[in-house]
Amino acid sequence: MSREYALNDWYAVGDAQTLARGPRRTVLLEQEVIVSGTTDHPKVVDAEGAAYPATFKYGHVWTSLGDAPRPLFNIPEADEPGRRLVPCGVVRVKCSPLRAVENFLDIAHFPFVHTGILGSEPHTEVAPYKAEIRDDVDEVWATKISFYQPQAAKSAEAGGDTQYLYRVAAPTTAVLYKTCPPKPEAMDVIAIFVQPRTETECDVWPWMALYDETSEYAGLVQFQQEIFLQDRSILENQRPVKLPLDPKMEIPTRADLTSIAYRRWLKSKGAFYGAMTEDA
Amino acid sequence: MQTAPLGLLRDLDPKRVMRAQVGGQDLVVWRASNGDVSAWDNRCPHRGMALSHGFVRGNDLACLYHGWHYGSTGACSYIPAHPDLDPPETIKTAVFSVAIADGVIWVSTKGVAQPAPVPMASQPLRCFHVQARSDGLAHACRTVAFEGGAPEQIEPGLYRLGARRVFVLENPLDEDRIQVTALVDADATPNDCAALSRWCDAVRRLAQTEKVAA
Repeated sequence: MSREYALNDWYAVGDAQTLARGPRRTVLLEQEVIVSGTTDHPKVVDAEGAAYPATFKYGHVWTSLGDAPRPLFNIPEADEPGRRLVPCGVVRVKCSPLRAVENFLDIAHFPFVHTGILGSEPHTEVAPYKAEIRDDVDEVWATKISFYQPQAAKSAEAGGDTQYLYRVAAPTTAVLYKTCPPKPEAMDVIAIFVQPRTETECDVWPWMALYDETSEYAGLVQFQQEIFLQDRSILENQRPVKLPLDPKMEIPTRADLTSIAYRRWLKSKGAFYGAMTEDA
Repeated sequence: MQTAPLGLLRDLDPKRVMRAQVGGQDLVVWRASNGDVSAWDNRCPHRGMALSHGFVRGNDLACLYHGWHYGSTGACSYIPAHPDLDPPETIKTAVFSVAIADGVIWVSTKGVAQPAPVPMASQPLRCFHVQARSDGLAHACRTVAFEGGAPEQIEPGLYRLGARRVFVLENPLDEDRIQVTALVDADATPNDCAALSRWCDAVRRLAQTEKVAA
């Protein structure tokens, strides 16, 4: 049963803004839940009033519906002094939660989907990089990535090569680290927390931890929302809707090493919620 | 599945891409810079993106997601992420047979496209979609008056409207949706065509109204 593994993961189901607006009635793994309370004392209950564990971290309310939740992953950069923590609201996407994560891990689409911002022709080449499943931490990592970007961030003043590093902390949570334009020795952190409503629909909560003291909050969120809306136009037009784990169904190339590792990792764990397996 | 009419060639300029459907098969229909028309499975073999969102570069269709190019044989010819790589021949989309006849784009998802005969010297009138069943569409064609006179059905799909004849081609999309391609006598004037195009609108409205009433 594809939902079983997913039940014991943690999911973002609200942020400080949604809490301030009052109870948020939403759907997680096909189950209705109501998110309320404060950032100090968030509350998640189902339609019958049964409570689920709830904690506020990384700007969001996290919950798990399973009997034996795995530990919530750590994003140490969230506690680094000097970083601005920027929750970016929520984007509803009619796609598999896993396709949303996989798209987040992909750089080859930048010149075509985020044209003039995260990429541009003729700078389309993806240089060799490294992707691996790290068994010790049970995560997927991609390192040594470099890509030319016309406007890597809101704070970028000119185009240039951006260094990237990706980390998949859970099947529906991915974090990227990229060169920070105003502070070249540091890296900006951008994450997506994907709330799977069903296997074919999700709410995506982007979140950032940046070194940017000058940009207006609204401008930062708008920059990120524009990127995600461009991604949505892709994600809602992929077939099959669920992510195929059979390598024969979708043909990868060298630039897809992270995606290949991600699919293999999901398969090895039995994390099939939102995936298509051979026998499906 | 027999060969289906997918609209008028004149509505698909070179370098344009459209989405179409034949008997449940989702298609991308596109026209290269040299004017050639292709109809393929509407799916990029790389990551499943609908190719109908793609763009034409020269005589290739490029996928919107990663810019992969596909040439007229449906084989991948260029992967922008690896400009020096010769793409393996296994990266290929399913290609369907296309024929152009009477200004109509015909596609077969099984075997060679064989356009249906058109029972008159014709010119294109227009293409439209209607939410109705085939019998509802035919009933509307027989019912909507043209210039004060009732239409006469000469044979299935062929109607006499005053001094003109209109031939109605159907591509059933599902239970109650039809893509209609209409042709008219070759010597119809632009004014005739404008009036008959308005008649098509009235036919579409009546067919959909009667469907709601039913």
